Amino acid sequence: MRRIYDSEALHRDDDEAFAPSEEERSVRLQALRSIDSTALSDRLIPTGLRRRAISVDVSTPRTEYSEGEPVPFSVTMKNSLPFPVTVSTASPILWTWTVDGEREASRVPLHEPPAEAGRFRFDRGERKEFRKRWEQMFRVSETEWESAAPGEYTIGAGINVEASDGAALYDETVVRVVPE
Amino acid sequence: MALLEVNDLTVKFYTQDGVVTAVNGLDYRVERGEKFGVVGESGAGKSVTALSLMRLIESPGRIESGEILFKGEDLLEMSEEEIRSVRGNEIAMIFQDAQTALNPVYTVGEQVSEAIRHHLDYDDAEARERTIQLLDRVGIPEAETRYSDYPHQFSGGMQQRAVIAMALSCDPGLLICDEPTTALDVTIEAEILDQIEELADDFDAAVQLITHDLGVIAQVCDRVMVMYAGKPVEKAPVEDLYYDPKHPYTVGLMSSIPRVGDSRERLQTIPGTMPDLVELPTGCSFHPRCPYAEEACTRKEPPLLDPETGAEAAASSAEHAAACLEYTGDLRDGLDYEIEVRGQDPRTDVRQVEGDQDD
Ligand SMILES: Nc1ncnc2c1ncn2[C@@H]1O[C@H](COP(=O)(O)OP(=O)(O)O)[C@@H](O)[C@H]1O
Ligand code: SF4
Ligand SMILES: [Mg+2]
Repeated sequence: MRRIYDSEALHRDDDEAFAPSEEERSVRLQALRSIDSTALSDRLIPTGLRRRAISVDVSTPRTEYSEGEPVPFSVTMKNSLPFPVTVSTASPILWTWTVDGEREASRVPLHEPPAEAGRFRFDRGERKEFRKRWEQMFRVSETEWESAAPGEYTIGAGINVEASDGAALYDETVVRVVPE
Repeated sequence: MALLEVNDLTVKFYTQDGVVTAVNGLDYRVERGEKFGVVGESGAGKSVTALSLMRLIESPGRIESGEILFKGEDLLEMSEEEIRSVRGNEIAMIFQDAQTALNPVYTVGEQVSEAIRHHLDYDDAEARERTIQLLDRVGIPEAETRYSDYPHQFSGGMQQRAVIAMALSCDPGLLICDEPTTALDVTIEAEILDQIEELADDFDAAVQLITHDLGVIAQVCDRVMVMYAGKPVEKAPVEDLYYDPKHPYTVGLMSSIPRVGDSRERLQTIPGTMPDLVELPTGCSFHPRCPYAEEACTRKEPPLLDPETGAEAAASSAEHAAACLEYTGDLRDGLDYEIEVRGQDPRTDVRQVEGDQDD
């Protein structure tokens, strides 16, 4: 769990008595900043190449699940280039997963991200793995969920880029839900 | 008009693991002079709520929606300059770790007197004198000599006292205390809490006291909000909460209060941990840990309800409210626990009734 007081998401100001002090943390932050070399590589690599450099893969341990059994899946993204790459995303939501095209298995929108681009950064050769779980439920309203009936379902995951470039940065897999 | 009115506050962090909804549609009110407690386990969203009131959350965090009305004015609509003047003049904050607030390179006295100069327009000599008075007032011995000490020359408890002095120097209407005693040992904890309480009364400030310990709330607060996974699950006047908790999570928190004078450490703790706020459990967020969870709890999320009538609780209500399907009539078996209150101590002994349900 991220701790707000240890993070960069906190306004700090030494000149303000009631804003956290900067001094206390400046050393640790400096160490973090010095390894961030994205700025340069960003400008040197064409967008298209940057996107081709990244691969996305979705997989589940099995292809068949009993009705009601949670379906774990893992989303792996890899930067095949020997230098850092930053993908510019359509919003601060960097990537999403879907079930049958429904974002996070919800039929109601869950987030209203601000209208600004996000930056999804990969180190040289970096492989990121995210483990998620589909509970075999669809959210049908703010407060209600329904179970998925037996049948086939497509679990997808993709980086949040414009549709025209989306295909390369998206993957999906099919699971079958069988009655118990 | 309430001193502080938080309406539908939602705060999210955009991370590569997903969107963390740290605070989710939160509503509450704090009246003038009131001591309002916010309690919940680590990760519940208590600090993010408090820091949002001070407008101290930055990217990748975002206050996505809501209103924070302080004396009727929306803090979220204010310019950077306006909010800076609210911080300290109107709302002051004490952090868990006094070192968050204190700058190690200035003396304690300089920092308090700087706050005073800044907020009250005092000259150097006046500010110094007022600072020494305040340091003395918060229980720092030999305040005049200690004025020139650096924070590291103070013990944790003394540092926290100095921060309290700094907070009160500007006569704020609201004092937010985020786990002010968690880093201190128990004997000092009681002293500091007394201090906060007494000074808030003298200075006529309302207090929003954040803690993970219901025992601390009992000692200080009038009203309390229990938070779980970014949402309030129970709100009540403190006595009602202690004698008649209505949410299973609150009951769990109560049974994990260490009992004064009891050698047993904790009676029991709630099994499991706070969920990942990127992907909350479906339905009632507490269902994976709730001993009373039923099928319905995985499909329906209860709003805050009046436990007597089952009607949805109004955001402005100061009455007892709890977010559990027990009060919508959706549970088949219902909740089943007994609260046993021992002696004068508001700390209670909670028993879960085993076996089949009776009604
Ligand atoms: N900088 C951050 N980035 C991502 N998530 C964060 C950050 N800071 C806090 N969070 C998340 O916000 C949630 C609420 O945290 P917090 O308000 O600190 O909880 P509490 O004070 O109740 O322990 C937690 O799930 C935490 O992981
Ligand atoms: S709604 Fe269900 S899971 Fe949630 S607290 Fe009530 S009984 Fe427990
Ligand atoms: Mg906290």
